[in-house]
Amino acid sequence: MLAIEGLSKHFGGVQAVHRVDLQVRGNEILGLIGPNGSGKSTIVNVVTGVFPPTEGRVRLRDRDITGWQPHRVLAAGMGRTFQSIRLFGGLTVWQNLWVAQKAKSWLAVDRASMKKIEATLEFCRLRDKKDELARNLGFGEQRRLELARVLAAEPDLLLLDEPAAGMNAAEIEDLRDRILALKQRGKTVVLIEHHMELVMGIAERVAVLNFGVKIAEGPPAAVQDDERVREAYLGHRR
Amino acid sequence: MSDYAVSLLVRIGVEAFVALSAYLLLVIGRVSFGQQAFFVIGGYAAGIATALYGAPLAVGIMVGAVAAGVAGALLSAVMAPVGGIYFAAGSLAFGELVRVALLSFHYQVPVGADLTGPAGADGFRGVRALFTGGVSATAFMLAVAGLVALTFLAIALLLRSRWGEAMRMVGEDETASASLGVRVRRVAALTMAGAGALAGLGGGLFVHYATYMEPGHSDVMLGVHSLAYAFIGGLGTPLGPIIGVALDIGLLESFRFLAGYRMIVFGGLVMGLLVVRPRGLLDEVAVHRLSRLVAWGRR
Repeated sequence: MLAIEGLSKHFGGVQAVHRVDLQVRGNEILGLIGPNGSGKSTIVNVVTGVFPPTEGRVRLRDRDITGWQPHRVLAAGMGRTFQSIRLFGGLTVWQNLWVAQKAKSWLAVDRASMKKIEATLEFCRLRDKKDELARNLGFGEQRRLELARVLAAEPDLLLLDEPAAGMNAAEIEDLRDRILALKQRGKTVVLIEHHMELVMGIAERVAVLNFGVKIAEGPPAAVQDDERVREAYLGHRR
Repeated sequence: MSDYAVSLLVRIGVEAFVALSAYLLLVIGRVSFGQQAFFVIGGYAAGIATALYGAPLAVGIMVGAVAAGVAGALLSAVMAPVGGIYFAAGSLAFGELVRVALLSFHYQVPVGADLTGPAGADGFRGVRALFTGGVSATAFMLAVAGLVALTFLAIALLLRSRWGEAMRMVGEDETASASLGVRVRRVAALTMAGAGALAGLGGGLFVHYATYMEPGHSDVMLGVHSLAYAFIGGLGTPLGPIIGVALDIGLLESFRFLAGYRMIVFGGLVMGLLVVRPRGLLDEVAVHRLSRLVAWGRR
C-alpha cells in the first residue's frame, strides 16, 4: 500500500529522520511508536507532503508521490490527522467535513455528499453536534471531529498522529473500536501513538523509531521483547 | 437629499469596496496594507477608458475592475505562497510602489482642445464621463449603493459555498486545509485577484464622481482604514466591513463636534475593540448565533 524507502529529513543540522524504510500493507493496522522527538510526526509530515524529504522516496500503490503537495496526496488516497488538534474553530462541525469530502460541486451541496457526511458524522457520533461551531466542542468531541474530517475525504490509508493524546480510558476504548471498525471497512491505518496498550492491543505490526532511525519492526509481542526497544523506550534495565 | 449627504453616501459606498477587498484577504488569513494600490489602478484604468478613449461609463468602470483584478493576479504569482507578516510587508511595499510609480506616470492624449490623461504628480484630471453622460449625483449614489449591495450578496453567497469554506479554512490553518484537499495557493491567488478587482471597482466609481485621481489616493492610510473597517464591523460577515465604513465616515466624520478628533476617536475605537472583540462586532460566533436565531424563528 505505502512504501517508504530510505527516507531522510534534515532540518539544518538536525537529522529528524534518517534513512527509514517502512512498508505498510493493505488493510493492516501498523503501529508506529517511539519516544518524543524520535521522528514519528516528521515522517507523517514528509509522507503527506507538508515538507519535502531530504532524500528517499515515498510510493503509494506503486505511484511515486515523493514531494507531492498535500492536496494531491489526499486525492491519491492517503489522509492524516494532526497530533495537536487543528480544527477550523470558526466553522461548524458540518462545514468542517464539507470541504474535505470529494464533492463534485464547489458551490452547492449535492444529495449524495450530504448523505455521506451524515454517515461519517454518525460513525464518529457527532450527528447531534453538526451545527455546533467546532471551537465550542468538548475535547473528546474535537478529537472525533478531527477523525471525521479526514474520513470525509474517503482516503484508503489513514495516518493517525497520536489520536489518543489527552483522552481518558473510556474515550480510548471508544477510539479503539472505531479504528477496528475502519479496518473492517477495508481501510489501512498507520497509528502513531504513545499509548502502548492501545497500539499493542490492535496493531498487527509495530515499527519503532528512536532518534530518527528505525530500530525494530514486527508483531507487537516480538517488538515488546526487543532489547533495543526496551532501552529506547524504558531506559536501561536496572 | 442635500449634496453633502449624497457625497457622504458615495464616499461610504466607494470605500466599502476597498474595505470588502481587504476583508476578502482577511478571510484567507492575509493582512493587506496595499489595497489602496488596486483602488488607484482601477481608477486610472477606468478614467483612461472613458476620458481618453470615450468608453461608456459602465464599460470604463468594468475596465478599471478588470485591470485591478489582473494586477492582483500578477501580484499573487509572487505573494500567494506568502503569509503572515511577510504578506503584510509585501502588500505595503506594493502599495508604495504603485504610488511612487504613478508620480512619474505620464500618459496624455489630446481630447478636443486639451491634453487629458495621467500627468505624474499632478494626477489625472478631467474624467467627466459622469457629467457629460448626464447622470445626476443622486442617481450615481443609488447606483453605487446598488453595486455595494450586489457585491455584499455575492460575497455572502460565496462564503456560504464550499469555495468560501475553503477560503475560511485557509484563513484558519493553511497546513491543515492543504491536508484536507484544499489547494491553498490557488485559493490565495484567486482571492487576491478578486480582492484587487473589488478595490478597482471602487476606484473606477470614485474617479468618475470626483472627476480626478492622483497618486496621493494610493496613500497607505486608505489601506489601513480598510483593514480597520473589517476589524470594527466584524470578520464573521461581509456586512462587517460595510458597517465599519458607515460608522467611520457616516458618524465620526460627519459629526462636526468631532472635527479634528476623528482620528483619535477612530484609533481609540479600533484599539478598544481589538481588546474587547478581537474579531469585530459581528465576529464568527455572533454571526453563528444570529443565524441560529433566525433558523429558530422560522420554525
